[in-house]
Amino acid sequence: MSSFHSLLDGFASALTLSNLGFGLLGTFLGTLVGVLPGIGPALAIALLLPITYTVSPASALIMFAAIYYGAMYGGSTTSILLNTPGESGSVMTALEGNKMARNGRAGAALATAAIGSFVAGTIATAILAFTAPSIADLAIKVGAADYVALMLVAFTTVSSLLGSSQIRGFISLAVGLVLGLVGADLQSGLARLTFGNQSAVEGIETVPVIVAIFALGEALYIASRFKEEGWKILPMKGKALMTRDDWKRSWMPWLRGTAIGFPLGVIPAGGSEVPTFLSYAVEKNLTKHPEEFGHGAIEGVAGPEAANNANAAGALVPLLALGLPTSATAAVILVAFQTYQIQPGPTLFLTNGALIWTLIASLFIGNTLLLVLNLPLVRVWVQLLKVPRPYLFAGITIFALLGSYALNTSTFDVQVAIAIGIVGFLFRRYGMPITPLILGLILGPNLELQFRRALQISAGDYGTLYATPLSKVLYLVLIVVILGPSLWGLRKKIANRKGHVSK
Amino acid sequence: MKLPQGAKSELTFVGSLFALGLLVFWDTARSEVPAFNLTVSPKVFPFAIALILMGLCALLFIRIIRGDIATPEGLEPGDPIEKSDYKTFSIVLASLFAYLLLIERAGFVIAALVTFFGITVAFGNKRHGRSILFGAIFIVLIYISFTKFLHVSLPAGILKGIL
Repeated sequence: MSSFHSLLDGFASALTLSNLGFGLLGTFLGTLVGVLPGIGPALAIALLLPITYTVSPASALIMFAAIYYGAMYGGSTTSILLNTPGESGSVMTALEGNKMARNGRAGAALATAAIGSFVAGTIATAILAFTAPSIADLAIKVGAADYVALMLVAFTTVSSLLGSSQIRGFISLAVGLVLGLVGADLQSGLARLTFGNQSAVEGIETVPVIVAIFALGEALYIASRFKEEGWKILPMKGKALMTRDDWKRSWMPWLRGTAIGFPLGVIPAGGSEVPTFLSYAVEKNLTKHPEEFGHGAIEGVAGPEAANNANAAGALVPLLALGLPTSATAAVILVAFQTYQIQPGPTLFLTNGALIWTLIASLFIGNTLLLVLNLPLVRVWVQLLKVPRPYLFAGITIFALLGSYALNTSTFDVQVAIAIGIVGFLFRRYGMPITPLILGLILGPNLELQFRRALQISAGDYGTLYATPLSKVLYLVLIVVILGPSLWGLRKKIANRKGHVSK
Repeated sequence: MKLPQGAKSELTFVGSLFALGLLVFWDTARSEVPAFNLTVSPKVFPFAIALILMGLCALLFIRIIRGDIATPEGLEPGDPIEKSDYKTFSIVLASLFAYLLLIERAGFVIAALVTFFGITVAFGNKRHGRSILFGAIFIVLIYISFTKFLHVSLPAGILKGIL
């Protein structure tokens, strides 16, 4: 019952004029970055991290969460009308959604995507509101050794489930861990990998790295490769409405998508790619219209779109309850918490309860705003795609460079950003996924801290690392995840599916 | 033995990551831990990460030689990999460096405008006058909204007093 009361209090503070304003701005920005291919929510939030110096924690976090949700909505628009997924959670939507648009059913596809996202987002946020506190209660019993195991599992799943090559994912992770090492060691003060540079002793800031690896890396990569003119946008006739039949065929996929997306967000499954793929596969098997799949089946849009929104909400559970991000966007939100000196984790609901309930309430509000914003305004969003690409990339680059410099007003951060931009280019060129690097950079120092803490408690006995039942289970999971993909070839299937999309 | 197409440049890339691991190992080995009692030395993690990175790179090295070539982002496995266009790449890179050199000397607006212009050129924009005009409006708007409304400080540089 107390959860319910706290949530009502959360609504009261989320509905103040300024918080509502930041929520609205976030939904707007989120939809924007979702619509534009090449920029995702992780980059958008990273670019806005400098505002954490002047804006209150509640307002900033409301805005960041709204961006996260908004990008999921916006991504579907680009997938359907352009056949270019705006972000990785919309890859599956493009399969059937774009076919529907080709058949003149763009309106119905956009509507089932938006309404499905709303239904899934609302249900999933409700589950988040009522489970996260009890998960946090359980998490208080999680010790340092368990954290070590949890982080190793998160590293492994994210590295091996993203991209098409497990080993490349692990190398990306290792490079992120190396970046996390730079600077003075917290316990002993030993300067690691600084090579006499005074600025480096402070460590490498995460913001320039995130911003540069996405924005600058993408700009360098696109400049060196693709010489095409603009995007071919399919026309949208009529309004974004669904027929009775569309509703009948959509509501079950929405619910099933939610049921698949949420739990896969809670466990570290590497972001929204796996749940949307699974949802698509399930709908394809259960449909009464198998002949329509591949030619514009509405179930194939409704399911994955619900799954990716539910997944975004699910990813907030480990982030808030354990301080463990399971996607690039969640990792950046973790950085935002840390700039406010707030450490997400089991005690978060006790120490910053009001803030978290405001955040959760604002997710409900943001979801409603997004539904209202998206359906009538979809034509406005599509106009954005007419911005010429040179201007688009020039603008993104300026924001990235501004963000890297403004953080500490230091040119060292700009140097880091340019170097990491080149790394981002090389990673794209040689097919290495980027999320593992970011997770390694952000969680690496944390892993070392918990590892040392565990060994201090046990006075140097390494057996403590797998002494608890939870850690034993987690190491078992670890083995399955490392050996699994090569056994059942799931990743291959995902890679193949992606193949169909971009053709 | 003939290497598959594209393998050479990827081997160089993986080789440089191996060298990064070696660098971490060397830097850790030569550093001296302050003399007080720690359960876990600050060298344990760097050593472990360096060894893991080198091991993985060696493994990938062998795989590449056996034909497991990377698929660049945005392409399908098996698609022909065209050569990177290093001319446009260099223009973008030079624009980034221009920002680094100008930000504290000439100020944010000038530095950003040079970068903006360079990138539009790299992406094939031919209408230079227009891109400078749009860029200037966009950058001044950003400058004002960040410094005046968000209180993020950005160097005014040589335009001090005008803006």
